[in-house]
Amino acid sequence: MQKRNFVSYFLIFLALSLIIFGASKIGLLKPLDSLGKGILSPFQALTYGTFAKITELGSNPQIEGLKAQNLALTKKLIDQSKLIADNKALRDQFQTQNPKSSNLIEADVIGAPAFIPGISVPETLILDRGESDGVKVGQAVVYEDNLIGQVVGTSLFSANVMLVTNPSLSFTAKTLITQSPGVIKGQGGEEMILDNVVLSDSLQKQDMVLTKGDVNASGLGLPPDLVVGKINAISKNPSDLFQKADVKSLIDFSKLTKVFVIVNY
Amino acid sequence: MKVLAFVLLTIALILEASLITIPFVFLGLLCLLVLSRRNWLFIFAFAFGLVLDLVTFKTLGASSAFFVIFLFLVLLYQSKFEIATNAFVFFASFLGSFGYLLLLGYNNNILLQAILSSIIGLLLFKSVQRFSKSLVI
Repeated sequence: MQKRNFVSYFLIFLALSLIIFGASKIGLLKPLDSLGKGILSPFQALTYGTFAKITELGSNPQIEGLKAQNLALTKKLIDQSKLIADNKALRDQFQTQNPKSSNLIEADVIGAPAFIPGISVPETLILDRGESDGVKVGQAVVYEDNLIGQVVGTSLFSANVMLVTNPSLSFTAKTLITQSPGVIKGQGGEEMILDNVVLSDSLQKQDMVLTKGDVNASGLGLPPDLVVGKINAISKNPSDLFQKADVKSLIDFSKLTKVFVIVNY
Repeated sequence: MKVLAFVLLTIALILEASLITIPFVFLGLLCLLVLSRRNWLFIFAFAFGLVLDLVTFKTLGASSAFFVIFLFLVLLYQSKFEIATNAFVFFASFLGSFGYLLLLGYNNNILLQAILSSIIGLLLFKSVQRFSKSLVI
């Protein structure tokens, strides 16, 4: 290969890449981007679905059943606690379902780019619903009443969701029994920590962590009382300003194929 | 060779876009370049990089630019040294994968993934080498 030949190829395609990169950064290519994603998302859904089925082949159905039962029981426990709190506050007997099903749209997981089965867990998910379905950046993504993550990017026909375990995501939360407020910070892998809990507040092992709610005036953000996870360990040092706790989600993110986006809160 | 490259990179793209962080497209491009040293691989690097950015919600052009620059560096290196060796493929896969994952903001076991990538890159190189030889025969 002549050196000048590949240099000219290099310069041409580097220039093209940089032009596209620049145009994409300032949003000029958004319609083209959305169109391309719309065309490619069915193929992605097909391959992701196939791989998800393959990874499920080795799992024990009895354990999966117990996990599902555990989720349902946890949901019941939280609903009951909420009901007691409502009664205490002399509110009416109307039991609210959180989140309301009328506010949800169902979405298929069509990709989990940062994921190697057996080595790492997903940090982001790609969904087959986008702006055309009312999905916006900032909306919460749930499975039953468990928080999965937050929408961080959208195109017309797909959305990018940052999972709660992603190190780039943090939000306010509270514990169920002791109502101690704190900040949930993703740690990568399957880890999360509940940080910034003042020392005077009490934390309990096995206590559930719920979102505190940070919905803005436009209705975007994380609604309150979604399940984030369960406290596994507490780290409290009298010389520190705050105490923290290790939190684990009840959801196995690598096996998710269907989730729900809260489009209207 | 172009058909082989297209098929290999398409499979790599499907894997990388749907499921796995390991930069299969990059590894495929590297192996094909080491074996064929053809200019048209720049076109493949550009096109597959764009599609990859599209389906993984990255800024369009980022992967293309990385692939094109890396291929260029490999070609510059090959003008002085031999590149069709296991050692070169292993280290180039490691460095490229590490840089690529770092550049695109992945922060989950990057080092482990880069090591895994270099092993996969080496295996891919040996497989493509055998397959392309059998095609020639």
